[in-house]
Amino acid sequence: MFRARAWPGFPTSKSLCGSSSFGDANCMEQLLVHCANAIETNDATLAQQILWVLNNIAPPDGDSNQRLTCGFLRALIARAAKSGNCKLLTAMANVHANDLTMVNHKFSIIELANFVDLTPWHRFGFTAANQAVLEAVEGYSVVHIVDLSLTHCMQIPTLIDSISTRLEGPPLVKLTIAGAMEDFPPMLDLSYEELGSKLVNFARSRNIAMEFRVIPSSSSNAFSSLIEQLRLQQLTRAENGEALVINCHMMLHYIPEESLPTIPTSFENSTTSLRSMFLKALRSLNPTIVVLVDEDADFTSNNLVNRLRSAYNYLWIPYDTVDTLLPRGSKQRQWYEADICWKIENVISQEGHQRVERLETRSKWVQRMRNASFRGVGFSEDAITEVKNMLDEHAGGWGVKKEEEDIVLTWKGHNVVFATAWTPL
Amino acid sequence: MQKTMVEIENSSPTSVSLASGEPNLLTVDINQIKSDQPAETIQPIKKKRNLPGMPDPDSEVIALSPKTLLATNRFVCEICNKGFQRDQNLQLHRRGHNLPWKLRQRTSKEVKKRVYVCPEPTCIHHDPSRALGDLTGIKKHFCRKHGEKKYKCERCSKKYAVQSDWKAHMKTCGTREYPCDCGTLFSRRDSFITHRAFCDALAQESARSQPPAPAALTSPGGDLKVQVVAPAAAAVAASPPQPPLTPSTGVLSPVLSVQSSAELPENQNAHLPPPPSPPPGPAALTTTVASTITVTTAAVAAATVTTSSSSTCSGNIPTTGGVFARIFNSPSSELPQSPQHPASYSGLLCAIPSPLFPTASQNPQPHYLSRPQPALSATALLQKAAQMGATSSNSSFLRGLGLALPSSSDPQLDNTSTMASISSSSATHWSNNVKLENNSLASELGLGLPSGGSSGLNELMMGPSMIFGHKPATLDFLGLGMGVGESSSRGFSAFLSSIGGGVDLTNASFAGVSSTGGTWDDSSDQKPSVL
Repeated sequence: MFRARAWPGFPTSKSLCGSSSFGDANCMEQLLVHCANAIETNDATLAQQILWVLNNIAPPDGDSNQRLTCGFLRALIARAAKSGNCKLLTAMANVHANDLTMVNHKFSIIELANFVDLTPWHRFGFTAANQAVLEAVEGYSVVHIVDLSLTHCMQIPTLIDSISTRLEGPPLVKLTIAGAMEDFPPMLDLSYEELGSKLVNFARSRNIAMEFRVIPSSSSNAFSSLIEQLRLQQLTRAENGEALVINCHMMLHYIPEESLPTIPTSFENSTTSLRSMFLKALRSLNPTIVVLVDEDADFTSNNLVNRLRSAYNYLWIPYDTVDTLLPRGSKQRQWYEADICWKIENVISQEGHQRVERLETRSKWVQRMRNASFRGVGFSEDAITEVKNMLDEHAGGWGVKKEEEDIVLTWKGHNVVFATAWTPL
Repeated sequence: MQKTMVEIENSSPTSVSLASGEPNLLTVDINQIKSDQPAETIQPIKKKRNLPGMPDPDSEVIALSPKTLLATNRFVCEICNKGFQRDQNLQLHRRGHNLPWKLRQRTSKEVKKRVYVCPEPTCIHHDPSRALGDLTGIKKHFCRKHGEKKYKCERCSKKYAVQSDWKAHMKTCGTREYPCDCGTLFSRRDSFITHRAFCDALAQESARSQPPAPAALTSPGGDLKVQVVAPAAAAVAASPPQPPLTPSTGVLSPVLSVQSSAELPENQNAHLPPPPSPPPGPAALTTTVASTITVTTAAVAAATVTTSSSSTCSGNIPTTGGVFARIFNSPSSELPQSPQHPASYSGLLCAIPSPLFPTASQNPQPHYLSRPQPALSATALLQKAAQMGATSSNSSFLRGLGLALPSSSDPQLDNTSTMASISSSSATHWSNNVKLENNSLASELGLGLPSGGSSGLNELMMGPSMIFGHKPATLDFLGLGMGVGESSSRGFSAFLSSIGGGVDLTNASFAGVSSTGGTWDDSSDQKPSVL
């Protein structure tokens, strides 16, 4: 994308950087906050002026903070274009939208496998969850895994691999996934049928019999069709000595929570959200173990500025983690950053049901699970060792820490992703 | 356990000794510290490595400063300035310069064992009972744990503080490799496995190879699943997928439920030919066993299939009969209601001294910020930009913004007066002037200006621009006056192109000129005319 130089005479980020603050994240954040506020209060001129300043100090090919700010800038433009009658901004926003074609990139399965392993962002949750699951299903001859994952089953091969090594011989594995009907990135250029076929094949190569099933279901209604299916299977489950594993990887945050008004049914409490209902429904399935992995941040505020701050102070992390890892012009980097931009745009410029990125913090999820009558089971020393070994194979800067009985992936000390494990109370 | 070594004032009655050549050394006798503990260790007869954390109680505890620990090459040759880590090395080097040199003789009396503690107070090795036994060890420890990681592995970006660690890593990094049949190499097992599961190489391999005779024949209750896998796998690879039994695709398509549980019994039997190459005896047996069991499986599975299919049919659309009420009405993206501000345009930048937004610095700043900045209002920030920009050459824009502070003591006042003076003149005249002006910018943008304007609009147009004092200038959509000619259009289109390279400017109808000055929403009473 062509990027013109800033207006001559206008201080560029470089000249501003110096000792003081324009180039630094704090300042950029403040500008974004002011801009958001201007948009919300219909102060159009101010908003435009700040957008212009931001544009000059935050080029899309700058350093991490600049690229982060640029993502927010675009999201604000998109938001402003929606709200007003300013066709020019709409035109700009449309051009942006085309630019986000990177986001619509459909990954081949091999590309996705690489993509997901660029950093420990996902592998952390995979490793912790796999170990917890392995320990929980010990002794069961049938293991039914329900994989609710943003990464299209990328966790499954290593899970199968670890199951295949257990001493008492492999169980029958049933794998059920919610054939997501929504289009969250990363998107896969492969049908679930083919995906499942490969997984079954792989399991077989590890001497594990596996069944694969896709149940079309959506986070927007809390996977109700999936839950129904699982309910029906409860009958046969008891006879088989079957372990039910619910593996939730960065998916549950798409289920609407309390800030999104629900139409209450006659039975439900009007303040109950789909998210709470989903967890209660899970509990009613009496699972052997539920693993909940998600990103540790709060994107649920209804106030735009609060949400912006929250997002800005979290999403700098993914930019930072690949700053020296991926070469600037590489496709992977573009896909990766487009992915983050999609999230930024969703959080900032969307509202209502279209704003799907509704992250909540670990402590909030813990509270929810407890309210739904689950108790935390924590991770064994083995699990933590596995995680540490895995992190050792990545660049420096990644760490893991314990918070209560859960573990949290950190980048330069900041919380990134949490992993929790639960069993019915 | 007392910490007695840190400050000289606190030292025990014994020894504050400064060993020669090591200026920051403070020595404390460990016996002072361990006085409350019985001396339990026996003096070892032969020299052996003490376990970490259990130093010899008779040893001398030495606390070096961070500077000392990190220092390298402190011993410098006075002739050529070459640095050495140890004094002995320097002395040997000095021989080469024909300088007098002196190697310290080992004293005949037994040298007291020395142990070293880490200067970092939070470190476990700060405690004398956890002191480390040798100088190099404490140096490396300090560097690793508390030092800056200066060495980086090129392959995996892992960083190290101690050079020898880095070198050791470089030896092994990338050497442990996992090759996939497709040719890709992996350095990590988990990525290798994940890749392998999806790689076509695996599919080809399993299609080619003999399905292994299942060993789990004896596993209780598990027979049917395992047996069925083998022939079915061949079937999977060889035959085209069966049409799905259920009306909704993607659910229980027979290829996937590899146990062929979705296949009808008759099909199942048809797919149980003996494997391509003559099977060994037991396999033939299993085949027979499999076929009988399969029927049961299929029967059971058929039951499952029907159940699922019936429920999935209804479950396909995530609504009725479901657990949750259907709440997903067609989405309407609406912004939260915000108060509609009148078009009266007090939005002159400089006119707002107070913060637009009560900026709060309550949330903790991420550590990557150098220092917390005081919360600045939007005005202040833009003024700051102006200040910085004022130092550079062409600040006509900034004057246009009204931000060139030195020149205007009271920007607000100036603007107001300017406004007053201009709005008193014919607004229409001005507008017409602009309309007719053959300005590249305007035509590029297709900027339209309303012929009639409210006073608010005039304020907008004239607003922050000082230049209006001279002549009506072209307005860009920012509502700002431009300096003469080119630089303005260049700057503005630079803005546009940088935002989205290739906006078709000629087609961008700027219907919202009025709204730039006023609100975002549709002030429908003003119809803009497009140039």
